[in-house]
Amino acid sequence: MSELRATNLAMFWRIIRRLLSANRGRLFVMLLALGAGAAVTAALLNLQVDAKRRLTTEFRAFGPNVLIIPKGSLSSSSETLPESTVHLVPVNLPSGRVGVSSALYMIGSVSVPQSGKSLTAVVAGSNPFGFLKVAVVSSSTPTSSPKGPAPSREDVCVAGARFAQQVGAQQNSKLVLTSGDRRESCRVANLRQTGGPEDDRVEIGLRAAQRLVDLSGRISAIELIVPGTPGEIQSYIADLQRQLPDVDVRPIRQFTEGEAKIYNRISGLLTGTVGIVLLLTALCVMAAMTNVAMERKMDVGLMKAIGGATRRVIRLFLVEAVLLGLAGGLIGAAAGMFLSMGLGKAVFGVAAQPRLIVYPVAVGLTIFVAVLSAFPLRRLASIRPASVFRGEA
Amino acid sequence: MFLRLVADSFGRRPRHKLLTGAALALGMGVATTALSVVLDVGDRLAKEFRSLGANLLVTPQADSLPLEIGGVDYRPVNAGAYLPEADLPKLKTIFWHNNIIAFAPILEVPVNTAILPKTISSAFTPSLSTSLIGTWSQHSIWTPDLQTRFVTGIERTNPWWSVEGRWFSEDAADCVIGANFARKTGRQIGDAILVQDGDKGQILKVTGILSTGGSEDDAIVTSIAIAQKISDKPGEYRKLFVSALTKPEDAFARRDPKAMTPAEYDRWFCTPYISSIAFQIQQELPGTDVRVIRRVAEGEGQILTRVQTLLWLVTGAALLAAALAVGASSAASVIERRVEIGLMKALGAGSGMVGFLLAAEQLLLALVGGGIGYALGIVLARMVGEKIFGAAPEPTLLVFLVVIGLAALVTLLGSAIPLRRASRIEPAPILRGE
Repeated sequence: MSELRATNLAMFWRIIRRLLSANRGRLFVMLLALGAGAAVTAALLNLQVDAKRRLTTEFRAFGPNVLIIPKGSLSSSSETLPESTVHLVPVNLPSGRVGVSSALYMIGSVSVPQSGKSLTAVVAGSNPFGFLKVAVVSSSTPTSSPKGPAPSREDVCVAGARFAQQVGAQQNSKLVLTSGDRRESCRVANLRQTGGPEDDRVEIGLRAAQRLVDLSGRISAIELIVPGTPGEIQSYIADLQRQLPDVDVRPIRQFTEGEAKIYNRISGLLTGTVGIVLLLTALCVMAAMTNVAMERKMDVGLMKAIGGATRRVIRLFLVEAVLLGLAGGLIGAAAGMFLSMGLGKAVFGVAAQPRLIVYPVAVGLTIFVAVLSAFPLRRLASIRPASVFRGEA
Repeated sequence: MFLRLVADSFGRRPRHKLLTGAALALGMGVATTALSVVLDVGDRLAKEFRSLGANLLVTPQADSLPLEIGGVDYRPVNAGAYLPEADLPKLKTIFWHNNIIAFAPILEVPVNTAILPKTISSAFTPSLSTSLIGTWSQHSIWTPDLQTRFVTGIERTNPWWSVEGRWFSEDAADCVIGANFARKTGRQIGDAILVQDGDKGQILKVTGILSTGGSEDDAIVTSIAIAQKISDKPGEYRKLFVSALTKPEDAFARRDPKAMTPAEYDRWFCTPYISSIAFQIQQELPGTDVRVIRRVAEGEGQILTRVQTLLWLVTGAALLAAALAVGASSAASVIERRVEIGLMKALGAGSGMVGFLLAAEQLLLALVGGGIGYALGIVLARMVGEKIFGAAPEPTLLVFLVVIGLAALVTLLGSAIPLRRASRIEPAPILRGE
């Protein structure tokens, strides 16, 4: 009995082999359609996950989005908080590293010995120096490294463009900063134009600023660049506020809210487009496969003529479909993963990370589509072999 | 006879033709959806990015250096220059006036406030100094070019400002108060506040509580006319926020306009780069300094470019998959017709004739399938557009032509290889079933 079954099984696989290799052209066409579908599925799924994550990184181009300031001191600049608060800010998030910068603002008198002019201006001491580098526009006379952050030495400063214009300072001019009876001097390393309040300021090192107003170890504000989706940023702010009850942690709403809106739109757009593309592609592959399957009346007719039971015939074709789906899926999904890595590199400059979960999903979907498209063969089960051979059906 | 053969082929094998057609229609539907979305997305997203607020800042050229910390200007009121409010409608006459979607002038005055008692008997609360921000809430401007009224205001240039209650109306003595200010003074909507600067004072009715997350939370915001009256600066403002739709800057936009050839200059002037819009505003409003708020403008350009590239690649991938699947489908339909081809050849048809007949069939199918696919794609693109942006992309002729062309190309290419093999078929063995 078992011997008979073994023979049966051997015959089954032999027929499958023959079915697959009988028509090379047809085999190629089926694999092509299934493979293309699998490739696009894998590529788009992988890219979609990756692109959303990358987008949140892109949003950091807008600069700081969270502000830590002394409690209730929104409109007064005189209150300060201890510099050590910076170390209490968690910087390693699952979504990336938080950029942290502390600053001390003051109003001081700035004079330029070179032009003999003097002006009252806002002086910002910051650490790390040149944190706002996204907004640094290299001056008309570029430095040796216009893009890199300014050197973090104590005796250099970055002058805002409008400030520099009014006071007559240029690159490399010397500035003398006075506040009360204290003074500091620095050399302009870079000019900066941001369109924001930084244009009217001089930025110096934090230590120099603290010496200037005799507030060692104090800062006015901490600016954070928090990566992540809008939801992640919200919960980060809430956590931080709980952790630091003595200060105000506030989102810079212009950016957090704007970003949230834009992020939701873009991610909805991606999901929508990718969803429709995948659905239509699946249907398209299915139609193509069904078309191929319909051509196989002769095969079904012949099998029935030599005594194949309907169920066994159907089983043959279903197994064939699974095999085809598996092969097409494996090849196509692999191609798709490479495709998405290439696409990710083209868009974001960083290759998209292959997500292993995408691979089985794409292969599974392909097999599903292949089996579904073999289903019309069921209708062929009812055909009478004789009429097929006479060319009637 | 030729047409009859084609018609007969459709009539005799309706199910096959239907399936090939369906594959075509679905594939081209993918192409249409992806193309429509990607062609439309730039404009839509650019509009979406305006939720980040103004990207241009206009200040007086002769201004003294602002002493701004945390959004509060510590200059004395008399320092610095002002600009005439009457010039502002000119903004809607520049070349890119349609791209200017909102603007609002700001005049900030430091004032003392006193909260008026609710009843005569209770005492005045002690005065509190804060800043009074005069601006537009719903200001309508007559645009001579378009013959329409253009409504703008601070809620359009700074969309993250949210008001509980309602915005002040510009021709009444109304104001909205910052959330912090409201908490500190315990004022609510409907209360009255006295604001004073020197000997000038005004009683304002609170119509809403403003929350911005910035220094405005401690301030009072009212119409610019009232701020002008109190500060004795009739018809003047100090800074102007402009929100404009722009094209992301490329290498060309970053060049210095002064160093361009006349042709390049024209191209720069006639492209809505933020720098050219800034330049045109500066020409229209003399004595101003128009600065690009780099933080907003540059981040926007970068992200817009990325998203557009991403969608183009998705479109490319979708087109590729659709093309392969459709090509496979039409290849399959030719492969299976060897007997028919053999018969035709046996009856004396040349290889060219057979190829021509099959190609005509495929093309006809491509036209029909492509057309249906286009319609399907447009419907789906509308759904995506409406769901996400609340506005559907306009169907364009360009997409239609591309899709039909693609359908024809793909079906022909898909059938080309099997057709070539078919043309080499010897009729006799085929007909004998070998």
